[in-house]
Amino acid sequence: MPAAVEARLRLRVGGRLGFALDAELALERGVLVLFGPSGAGKSLTLRALAGLLRPESGFVRIGGEPLFDAELGVQVPPHRRRIGWVPQRDSLFPFRSAAENAAFGLPRARRRRADPEVRALLAELGIAALAEARPASLSGGERQRVALARALAMRPRLLLLDEPFASIDRAGRAELWRLLRATLDRHATPAVFVTHDSDEALALADRVVRYERGRTLPGGPPSEILGDAYPLSLEGEHARLAAGALALGGVRLAGPAAALPEPREGRIRLSLRLPPERA
Amino acid sequence: MSSDALFPIALSLRVALLAVALAAPLGLALAWLQARRRYPGRALVDALVLLPLVLPPTVVGYFLVVAFGRRGPLGRALESLLDVRVVFSPGAAVIASAVVALPLLVKTAQPALEAVPGELEEVGRSLGLGPAALFLRVTLPAAWQGIAAALVLAFARAVGEFGATLMFAGNIPGRTNTMPLELYAAWQAGDDALALLYVGVLSLLSLAVVLAAPRLAPRGLST
Repeated sequence: MPAAVEARLRLRVGGRLGFALDAELALERGVLVLFGPSGAGKSLTLRALAGLLRPESGFVRIGGEPLFDAELGVQVPPHRRRIGWVPQRDSLFPFRSAAENAAFGLPRARRRRADPEVRALLAELGIAALAEARPASLSGGERQRVALARALAMRPRLLLLDEPFASIDRAGRAELWRLLRATLDRHATPAVFVTHDSDEALALADRVVRYERGRTLPGGPPSEILGDAYPLSLEGEHARLAAGALALGGVRLAGPAAALPEPREGRIRLSLRLPPERA
Repeated sequence: MSSDALFPIALSLRVALLAVALAAPLGLALAWLQARRRYPGRALVDALVLLPLVLPPTVVGYFLVVAFGRRGPLGRALESLLDVRVVFSPGAAVIASAVVALPLLVKTAQPALEAVPGELEEVGRSLGLGPAALFLRVTLPAAWQGIAAALVLAFARAVGEFGATLMFAGNIPGRTNTMPLELYAAWQAGDDALALLYVGVLSLLSLAVVLAAPRLAPRGLST
């Protein structure tokens, strides 16, 4: 079976002194997370995969089919790629209801009536009751669920998600991770997910590629790239201080809780994540 | 009131509607081009689009006569291909109105199109929409308020067209005597009642437009 996505991209934006991207990535199946600080070239990679910009050299293959190949002179335009796209926020068509948004990419005949497949998708994503709602009346999380339903309704060969949950609070995000992962698995849709949040990466990824200033480092499984979690138990006020100091030193708390948990019987139980080079 | 007195009202409305219908496809295409594309010569196109707004309408009329006259390039082509003579016809009034309305249409529609978030169009493309479908199903509905305002303003400008129409279409009773032309003629002839009729109709139309347009485009009108 050919890889879900394989790409080698070199491109430059903003002229001679602009930003240069040199990225290489591959995914057999499941979810590939592009991980790294903002401005490292992750979103640019997604745009190249979607066909929204044309790299100078390299290739993009989805399921073995070349969608871009500099040497063969192939560049399939975005609307013929059948690649789903979920941007960071506010990408819903404001003049359409949630259900109409979800059905937007379907042929006209299926758009006119309430399509059973679209309804099933909305139900699966927990927003069936909001089908008639306008985007303006939805919460951030609900909007992103609609955006997800819209991208999945056209049965994409690949789904691209550009920090789709960045503007959603942490508790809501953990729930969306579970939902997204389950939905992608159920539909067997491979996905490339951009984030700078290691917890998000760990919650979603089958494979992680790390970005640093426009370059990709060799990819691998999440634990290898992002480091393993180390359980740690600290006591009382010292725990708070110690954990704060650790966090300053580049050690991150693992798990969905951003803040330190409340002490129980004078103890705080923590799980710390160390970058591989510090483990 | 005689039907002769009502003819210019009906003619003006018809001419203005046709002028907007003529200017809209070109004007929206130009607005989209200027809003979405960076290309060499963009500033020149911008200037050319604005030109009919600042040129005296009689000068616009002169250029139209030269272009569409029997020895002008467009006039000759139309006469040999379609056996149509444009000058001093109702069609000339439509063209004159369309040309002077075009800058207003482009310059009101352009910021409305610029305000459409790029994400919407990118998502539209990912959902399989080609360029035409993208414009009709995403860009246009997202910018409809500004575009409606642009059409309304263009219509108002077309109804009021005087100078270019007089030069290019003449003031032929029962043929090209639009309201503004007939108003002037009535005033010259001392027919105050008739002049007042056209003053009233044109004033009411203009009032309706200035009331409607800002409601349609809360931001687009400031230009």
